[in-house]
Amino acid sequence: MINRLQTLDRRVIYAVIFVGVALALLIDFKFPISATPNVRAVYQGVETLDKGQTILISFDFGPSTVTELGPMARAILHHCFSKELRVIAVTLLPEGQGITQSILEEVATEYDAKYGEDFVFLGYKAGNEAVILNMGQDLRRAFDKDVRGNSLATMAATRSITSLRDIPYIIDLTSGYPGVEEWIQFGQERYGFKLAAGVTAVMAPDAFPFLQSGQLEGLLGGLAGAAEYEHLIGREGQAVSGMRPQSVGHVIIIGFILFGNLAYFLGRSRT
Amino acid sequence: MNKDQRLLLLVLIAFTGINGILIATGSIQLDAKGFGLIVGAGVTLAIYSFLYGDNPVFKLVEHAYVGVVAAYEFAQVWYQNILSDIIHPLAGNSDNPEPIWSIIVPTVLGSFLLTRLVGKAVWLSRLAFGLIVGLGAGLLIPRRISAYLIQQIEPTVGSIFTSTGFDPNAAFVLIGVVSVLVYFSFSLEHKGVVGVVSRVGIWFLMVSFGASFGYTVMARLSLLIGQLTFLMQDWLHVPLPLF
Repeated sequence: MINRLQTLDRRVIYAVIFVGVALALLIDFKFPISATPNVRAVYQGVETLDKGQTILISFDFGPSTVTELGPMARAILHHCFSKELRVIAVTLLPEGQGITQSILEEVATEYDAKYGEDFVFLGYKAGNEAVILNMGQDLRRAFDKDVRGNSLATMAATRSITSLRDIPYIIDLTSGYPGVEEWIQFGQERYGFKLAAGVTAVMAPDAFPFLQSGQLEGLLGGLAGAAEYEHLIGREGQAVSGMRPQSVGHVIIIGFILFGNLAYFLGRSRT
Repeated sequence: MNKDQRLLLLVLIAFTGINGILIATGSIQLDAKGFGLIVGAGVTLAIYSFLYGDNPVFKLVEHAYVGVVAAYEFAQVWYQNILSDIIHPLAGNSDNPEPIWSIIVPTVLGSFLLTRLVGKAVWLSRLAFGLIVGLGAGLLIPRRISAYLIQQIEPTVGSIFTSTGFDPNAAFVLIGVVSVLVYFSFSLEHKGVVGVVSRVGIWFLMVSFGASFGYTVMARLSLLIGQLTFLMQDWLHVPLPLF
């Protein structure tokens, strides 16, 4: 029996997790959500901006991580548009272009935000950290025109912005490279703006030291970070409902870890 | 026909049947959006089929994905960079009728990278690589030292005793950093005090690996939740939550 448990087919584990997560999606129940200080710091950063001030959001993620970073982006955009902030969006990944455009337009439509006045999408530019440096030196040299071909000098949202120094708050939503580390090294440290980040859960442990050192103002980690932000803005959506299956999945995995250890120690004591 | 082939055939029949019902009931329209939904659902199931075992459907979708991403990225780079940053400035446009000739230098250097594909002209690519390495090192080294070392040292060693008293979190961080550094000091024999401190370092490393693993589990489950939501809500039109 112990031997059979120790050599359990991995597909059984997959099947149990699949069924558990699917059932948690189908059945409605709630877990309490409370915002952690690092998520609250991002919220406070946006909250302290006045109506009409500019925020830049860098959407450095592609389709593979849209499940985690998409709800995060939506929640932050809801917060920005509800406060009538001017949003400048940019992406340093070619895969980010389509996703950014669809999320931005989806949320902006809800608030009747006007393109060019309330929000602008600069698009994608190759060069990773070099683009950040360029934007810091001269935003209009890095992006002469936005994604729709409008000159940055003619649009209300970007008319007064010539460098990253002119932007009081920047949020980087990232799934890897280029991402938060590049924004810190080549942006925040050089041009001194306030920087917050939303990262995938895999990246979160590596980003925490930047939070402790004050290089990051706040940090959202994975779907849980997005759920906390949704909770803070009082608009519980995709991320909060995702916490149900997430928690069930965690309980199943903890169960399997305990079960595996028990089987291992029982097997060892017998031999 | 072996067991796996029979199973694959069964899944394909079931997938076709489900889509047939969804189209017949009007849940999926016969338009571009409906076609996209069916392809998305099919591709998701094909990728997840790898959990059962490697199979030709997974391989097909994997290769198609690589091709689609390459084409998509090429299109983005073409329109956002090559066309707008090289061709238009050189050809001149309504905003800037005069060509910007200075763009030729970086463009030629960039195109030298392609000479890696031409045996005899490969030396030209070294010019471009030299510039990339030199520029990269010059930009990166001071930034890395500042961001990863100087900025990190201050919160690590400072403020154990604050104006409000002893800060256990700061002390914990300092103990962690010192003990892990001792663990990685291989020129010292890990015996006596050094052995004890390095053992503490191992514990800190284990905790950090555990935290990373926990976050990784969370990330992977989030991806599963996202795809299951897509399959149930968007493809099968099951309202979530159902009960």
